[in-house]
Amino acid sequence: MTVGNVFFAVASLVALFGAFMTIASRSPIRSAVGLLITIVGIAALFLMLNAQFLAAIQLIVYAGAVVVLFVFVIMLLGPDAGDGEGTVARARVARYGAGAFFLLLSAAAGHLVSRSGLTPNRFKIAPVTHGSVESIGTFLFGSAVIPFELTTALLIVAVVGAIAVARGKPHVRRQSKSASPTARMFHGPLMARDAQRPLPTKAERAAKAAGGM
Amino acid sequence: MSSLGYFIEHYVVLAGALFTLGSIGFLVRRNVLVQLMSIELMLNAVNLMLVAFNRQHMADQNGQVFAFFIIAVAAAEVAVGLAIVLAFYRLKSSVQSDEADQLRH
Amino acid sequence: MQAIEALFPAHNYTLLAFIVLLPLLGAAVNGIFGKRLGKEAVSLLALSVMFVAFALSVVTFLALGHAQEGEEAARFIWKGWEWFRLTRSDGTSITLDVAFSVDALNGTMALVVTGVGFLIHLYSVSYMAEDAGYHRFLTYLNLFIFSMLVLILGDSLPVLFVGWEGVGLCSYLLIGFWFEDDKNAAAGKKAFVTNRIGDFGLLVAMGLLLYYTGGLDWSSIDNGAKNLLTPVQVWPLGTHVPAASLVGGAFEHWINLPRYVSAATLVGLALFLGCAGKSAQLPLYVWLPDAMAGPTPVSALIHAATMVTAGVYLLCRLSFVMVLSPAAMATVAVTGALTAMFAASIAFAQHDIKKVLAYSTVSQLGYMFLGVGVGAFSAGFFHVITHAFFKACMFLGAGSVIHAMHARIHDTDASQDMRNMGGMRKYMPYTFWTFTAAWAAIVGLPFTSGFFSKDEILLRAYTSFVKAPAAKLSDGGGGSMEVFSWPPWLGAALYAIGILTALMTAFYMTRLYLGTFFGEFKGWKIVKNWKEPEHAHGHDDHGHGHAHHEPGVPLEGPTPHESPWQMWVPLAVLGFLAAFAGWLNAPLFHIETMHHWLEPVFAKASRSVELIEGAEHLEYAFLAAAIAAFAGGSGIAYWIYVLQKGKPAQSFVEALPGFHALVYDKWRVDELYEEYVIGAVDSLAEFFAWADKWIVDFLLARVSAFLVGASGSALRFIQTGRVQTYAAVMVLGLGGVGWYFVTPRVEAKVDANDESGVYSVTASQGLGYSYRWDLNNDGKWDDQERFGSKTQQSLNLDVKENRTVRLEVKNAFGRTAVRSFNFARPVPDRSGATSRFDADPAPGRRTGEVRALPKPQEMK
Repeated sequence: MTVGNVFFAVASLVALFGAFMTIASRSPIRSAVGLLITIVGIAALFLMLNAQFLAAIQLIVYAGAVVVLFVFVIMLLGPDAGDGEGTVARARVARYGAGAFFLLLSAAAGHLVSRSGLTPNRFKIAPVTHGSVESIGTFLFGSAVIPFELTTALLIVAVVGAIAVARGKPHVRRQSKSASPTARMFHGPLMARDAQRPLPTKAERAAKAAGGM
Repeated sequence: MSSLGYFIEHYVVLAGALFTLGSIGFLVRRNVLVQLMSIELMLNAVNLMLVAFNRQHMADQNGQVFAFFIIAVAAAEVAVGLAIVLAFYRLKSSVQSDEADQLRH
Repeated sequence: MQAIEALFPAHNYTLLAFIVLLPLLGAAVNGIFGKRLGKEAVSLLALSVMFVAFALSVVTFLALGHAQEGEEAARFIWKGWEWFRLTRSDGTSITLDVAFSVDALNGTMALVVTGVGFLIHLYSVSYMAEDAGYHRFLTYLNLFIFSMLVLILGDSLPVLFVGWEGVGLCSYLLIGFWFEDDKNAAAGKKAFVTNRIGDFGLLVAMGLLLYYTGGLDWSSIDNGAKNLLTPVQVWPLGTHVPAASLVGGAFEHWINLPRYVSAATLVGLALFLGCAGKSAQLPLYVWLPDAMAGPTPVSALIHAATMVTAGVYLLCRLSFVMVLSPAAMATVAVTGALTAMFAASIAFAQHDIKKVLAYSTVSQLGYMFLGVGVGAFSAGFFHVITHAFFKACMFLGAGSVIHAMHARIHDTDASQDMRNMGGMRKYMPYTFWTFTAAWAAIVGLPFTSGFFSKDEILLRAYTSFVKAPAAKLSDGGGGSMEVFSWPPWLGAALYAIGILTALMTAFYMTRLYLGTFFGEFKGWKIVKNWKEPEHAHGHDDHGHGHAHHEPGVPLEGPTPHESPWQMWVPLAVLGFLAAFAGWLNAPLFHIETMHHWLEPVFAKASRSVELIEGAEHLEYAFLAAAIAAFAGGSGIAYWIYVLQKGKPAQSFVEALPGFHALVYDKWRVDELYEEYVIGAVDSLAEFFAWADKWIVDFLLARVSAFLVGASGSALRFIQTGRVQTYAAVMVLGLGGVGWYFVTPRVEAKVDANDESGVYSVTASQGLGYSYRWDLNNDGKWDDQERFGSKTQQSLNLDVKENRTVRLEVKNAFGRTAVRSFNFARPVPDRSGATSRFDADPAPGRRTGEVRALPKPQEMK
């Protein structure tokens, strides 16, 4: 029973607990926290696997940016972020059935793998350079420089896209009277039935939120 | 128990469990934010898998670099995805994925 | 004459083209410009065209007479152009030309057609003068003459067929001339459709003649005619009747016996079918009485003198083909005799004067076919000529009477009803005397034309028969058949029917004659305050658009009076011919001009026609019988209708009302056809309408559309628009993919070499596969039941040895699958046969085989 075993056990339990919390929480902020816990657990496991640079990156990017983004959005959404009582649960059987089926699949896969009769090999001793910043950096700027640059471009595109999508238009929503889908495509809403369902104004939403609570 | 954490099988099982949890979360939950978080879970599970295999076959750093890229792309994806969620919220004032059925028959 | 012969040599007789094309020119000009030209110009053109055609026919006739000396038939030909060319698969070809030829037979007929045609054109000028469609009428008449001339002057069957169809068309146009009345249009349609059924027969005959004789013009058919003497297997179609095997035994054997008919019989029957349609024989005569809906000159020209005799002409033209089949000739004769009697029986009860004449025409046509059928071609043809004269005269005379009646009564049906006529001889003397001449001819008053021609037909019916060309026909392939031989009793039977019909003819024609011209005029009703109708109503106004009059209301109009000269001059000419044309061929007085004239044309056919023994002595006996028939028939009619004032007829009708109604309704043949033939077609049409409605529209269109729509509605539920649903479906697919990867599959390539006995099995590879074999058929796995990695095994087999090899595969997940392969080494085949196909069977012995086409003969 070495430190490594204990560390592995704790880290994996933490990750699993976090995952469970993520998917099972009623409130989204709790799910975000669960994600954070999982990320931290995964980072610990990275450390166990001689991927120290990656563990750091995981913490900085995932825990420091992605989860923060989630929290921001939850904050922006406010009370509407969660599963309120006003919503109707549709297709419950299908969803839970799919989830159960997936569980079954993974259990079957696990079972098959365990029967494969391959002899397990313990990890070898890792060289010091394995997972070090230098080796990863050399690889990144060496053989993998093209994906690296493309990822840069991707990030820029993502930033621009996120701004473009999230900014939207000023909140002037007039009832579109035109019947033609082409005209509606330009000034929305797309579906005719949505024209009959006007979006609630700020006052109405506030009233709904106040009434729902 | 002295072998816990030093065999690839343990990581495979753990990553599989995380992936399964993430999938179940995506398939079952209706909240878009929770679905996105489940996707992140799945990505993390895959990252774990990659790094673990790289630890077993240490000829080069392919696994870790791959995971690195996955993290970068996942970050970009979350940014854009959350922007879409916000736009969707603006349209429907709800974050239930059931509401996003515009492409219905 | 020399000038004519120099200008128009026999092999390029251009006058024929003129004779044929002049009426066409008249029709074209009158048809296109008739309305603008005006009545006088139209009449002048139509009449002059006909007159010139007649004059040229006379010239041709004289030239022919000059050229024909002795046994050889004179023949003038004009070749127009090549119509089409049929090429056989071996490269030889048959050419069909547009060509006209004239010899004694159709030279005479051309005279009759153009002459009588001209007289009827003259008659129509007056008869149709007040009609709005006057120019149209003369156009159609000219067009008809053109078609008829093409028919009789054609040098080949296709050209004849063009004329055949042309006269059918003109008949339709002219019968339905007053087409605004549905009845007339329907009658025209009926004529055309019934004719069409006959035309099918003619087309079949043309096909058969082309196949067997290798050509369709008269000379080619003549050269190849002997090829027609081959048996054709008509039953069973194919080699056997499959349904008969259900019954089995002797019945099956009997029904599968091949039955043969000679090709000549098929051709003869097919030709006769065409003639039955065109010349109104049983069973296709039904159009002719209805055709009386057309104007009377049409009835006179087409349905008395010319078109209906086209069938007789065809049989005379192809006499050398017809005599090759005594069976077909017997059929012609029997049908002709039966038609004659059947039509005569209907004429007994009719009241409409035109209908009586129509049935009389059908009956006389039956006589012509009777004559032709027993082989007396020139007798039958002579009757054609005399019939043209007296029947046209009767029709035109009837038209004259109707003309007078209509002026008085203004109603089409009533003015033709004999019950309204009577005593016309006082009012219409010319018509009366000419009609008397025609009546005398048809009833057979001695020394009139009808007397001589009918008497000869009756005599020949008894004494003449067609000899079989050979006792047996064989096709060189094992099939053979006996040839039909003329039954000895047939002549007597035909004669009995013929003489009985002569008696009946005398009766009903005398009834008509007496009823129309003698006694008191019954259409006479004088009413005070009779007012002139609004339109100027001259005494020769016989517009036909007048409505029917209400029965019981008295009629008033001018006194019946004689017709203008354009009408009675043709009557006079025809009446004269009817009375005296018989002297052209009076065997009684040993005058046989017509017979000698036509002899070279029928020479080849006459070789197959023989007279029974003792024929010479029967002449006077039969003459006496004929005179007795005439006297008896006319006498009885005179006694009933004049002496007894019609009372015996009245009591007969009262005693047997049902029978009388049956005869009056023409034995309800039309109703029979309507019920069964047209009814069958109607049922078929209804079936197709039902199929269209329920199968095509419903099953194929609506049901399939519904199915597609329903499946669309069902599938639509999958498309919820929600990502979660799609993800769930993807998970299902993932399960399937996973299953595919996890199960092992046993695939192996087998290489079998029968000759050397080496068989090898190569298993395909897979992810983590290991293999286990069982090669020696012992049911246990080899190699201590271990899984190894050997993928290929081969084994040697002895001859006739049988072995089963099993293969088990295990994949990385530990799942297994088994498959077995069976190998048997057959005995090697050393019999030495080099080919799988049998040698060809012995030549000759084959039934149901189509004969090879005979090589075409050299054409002179």
